[in-house]
Amino acid sequence: MTTWHAEPAALAAYADGALDDVRASSLEAHLMSCSACRTALASAVPAAPLLRAWRGVTIATVAPRPGLVERVLLRAGVRDDVARLLAATPSLRVSWLLAEALALGFAAFAANVAPGAGADAALFLFLVIAALAPVAGVAAAFGPGLDPTYEVGIAAPMRSERLLLVRSLAVLATSLVIAGLAAITLPGFDRAAIAWLLPALGLCLTTITLATWIRPLVAAIVVAMTWLAVAASVTAARSDPVAAFRSGGQLLAVALIVISALVLSRRRVVYEGGVAA
Amino acid sequence: MTVRADGDDMLLRAVAQGDRAALEALYRQHAPWLLVRLSRRCSDPGLVEEVVQDTFVAVWRGAGRYRGTGEVPAWIWGIGIRRLIDRLRRSPAPVVRQAPDTVLSAEDHVLLGVEHGDLGDALGRLSPELRAVMQATVLDGLTTREAATLLGIPQGTVKTRAARARREMRGALA
Repeated sequence: MTTWHAEPAALAAYADGALDDVRASSLEAHLMSCSACRTALASAVPAAPLLRAWRGVTIATVAPRPGLVERVLLRAGVRDDVARLLAATPSLRVSWLLAEALALGFAAFAANVAPGAGADAALFLFLVIAALAPVAGVAAAFGPGLDPTYEVGIAAPMRSERLLLVRSLAVLATSLVIAGLAAITLPGFDRAAIAWLLPALGLCLTTITLATWIRPLVAAIVVAMTWLAVAASVTAARSDPVAAFRSGGQLLAVALIVISALVLSRRRVVYEGGVAA
Repeated sequence: MTVRADGDDMLLRAVAQGDRAALEALYRQHAPWLLVRLSRRCSDPGLVEEVVQDTFVAVWRGAGRYRGTGEVPAWIWGIGIRRLIDRLRRSPAPVVRQAPDTVLSAEDHVLLGVEHGDLGDALGRLSPELRAVMQATVLDGLTTREAATLLGIPQGTVKTRAARARREMRGALA
């Protein structure tokens, strides 16, 4: 093809970044098609950065390819260790999110089409599911049994409380987005449509706090059952579908948020040894 | 020369089959010039190192997608320069190298043995700003947007500088 070859001095200057732009451009074009000059250039390039990069290539190509959720998170600029932890969260799987969307969508649909008392019952159902969805999500987000990375997490040189917080926040955020979207479809969209927000936060934090003593799954069941009993009895007594979500219920939710936050900040140390098994 | 190109093609096919030794051979051949060429476009050596690493990880994963059209080095460069731009987009620190405006003596020209044609002279007479834009858009084959990210200037500036550079070079060659 070509018989022209770059002078060793030019190659050395180019490797040092000392060659002027015009000749560097000309050399670069030549290097694309001349393996002899590429080989000659290679001997003038420092070995240390190439060795470091090669080590990185080896590690990256031996490790399994990240899954879809993880790749999306990485693309969005999430740090790789956090992305891996989030991607392993059971309650952030597509099937889980789909189940939540279906349950809320069904309740919202029923509230739209059911006549009279049926619509009230459907609205009650919607608020209850929306408030409890993050609790269920957090229960499945960490702890023995459900989390495939639980044992790895306990052994990892990382604060378990950080894992708990990162995952809980991600679960809470996705739950709130799904519930918020479903709430828009409710008939007569008003304050009642977002009345689940504070209870959801309060119940979720209470679950996390209780999980420092008992298994997360048990904590979630205790919280959900207690709250369901209270909400159902208040609703029945006042014959008002959103009775449990009026100012009394909202205040209680705020109290739960504050108390849980305080207790949680004092109980952090428990998470260092893993959650109660 | 053609034999070598075929060698690259064969290495790439082996890499697509999961041959780690072939990847290493490919790295030995192409990582050095890639490192130097990227270094001329980014003054952060750590970043360049990461981009070289990213590029060969992408080669490992995407070797099956190489269709044998065009030369392997050009394919690798296409991946490398785009990875660099991706990184610069994420951390838009002013890491763009200022083009050294070295004036070479007549002896330098003779010593280095590089022939300087009319085109080289015309390119050499451009200001460093215009030359950088010409290099990114014409020689590196980047889009206006990619060139803007690489050089750390707005897209509109890339367009006006490219137009001015073309005008000046046309004048110099006329």
